[in-house]
Amino acid sequence: MIDALELVVLVAAAAVALFGVVTTMLNRPPGRPHRLVVGVFEALLVVQAVIAAARVFGGVQLPEQSTFLIYLLVSVCVMPIGLQFATAEPTRWGGTVIAVAAIGTGVAVWRLEGLWAAGGV
Amino acid sequence: MSEPRAPRATSSGAGRVLIAVYAIFALSATARAGVQIATRFSEAPVAYLLSGLAGVVYILATIGLAGSTPGHRRLAWGAVGFELAGVLIVGLVTVLDTGDFPDDTVWSVFGRGYGFIPLILPFVGLWWLRRTGARR
Repeated sequence: MIDALELVVLVAAAAVALFGVVTTMLNRPPGRPHRLVVGVFEALLVVQAVIAAARVFGGVQLPEQSTFLIYLLVSVCVMPIGLQFATAEPTRWGGTVIAVAAIGTGVAVWRLEGLWAAGGV
Repeated sequence: MSEPRAPRATSSGAGRVLIAVYAIFALSATARAGVQIATRFSEAPVAYLLSGLAGVVYILATIGLAGSTPGHRRLAWGAVGFELAGVLIVGLVTVLDTGDFPDDTVWSVFGRGYGFIPLILPFVGLWWLRRTGARR
């Protein structure tokens, strides 16, 4: 897709996951810092999804277009749902829930890159 | 040694992490199977139906673990038990003979394509159900 942005997104996913696990270890329930961190990460994901979707609908041909678009949708949906689920019961484990969501999102982005590369763009 | 106690919620504390992992597997397995069945079902019907079945099992396990009634707990036991049997049987079959199974179901080769998490997950799920269950 866009190599630089993809790298930033993957590093951000790893950072969010680390942040979540650390807050669990420090016994901190999810709060304002978590919402802020997830918000920044989500903003990056939305930018990436908008650019990628624009290029696909703008004529870039991919071998597995529908799969690509589903992964793209998943990549922006998981973090808000994960944050909601993490904050619904404010225990220390909320941070790890956010970490799981970030890892899942990271894997989706990784797959997106593979599907994009298969298009030879 | 320990006192009798009523079952605790499976959806509280660390259980929420487990539910999050199950939810992600439910989503990814179901979505993947949906695309496979919709676009190229005839290539490998058995594998794709199996992917779909695995997705449904993960959905049922997520619902069972997230709920709080005895019925939810039974559903979770059934779904996670089925998941364990599924990953072991499909894993074994695919290790012994890759002919009939392309490598793209969640349970193929004990979940190798998914970092072997599908193999570990049912053990954690059963442990959690036992740990939160009633003690007599």
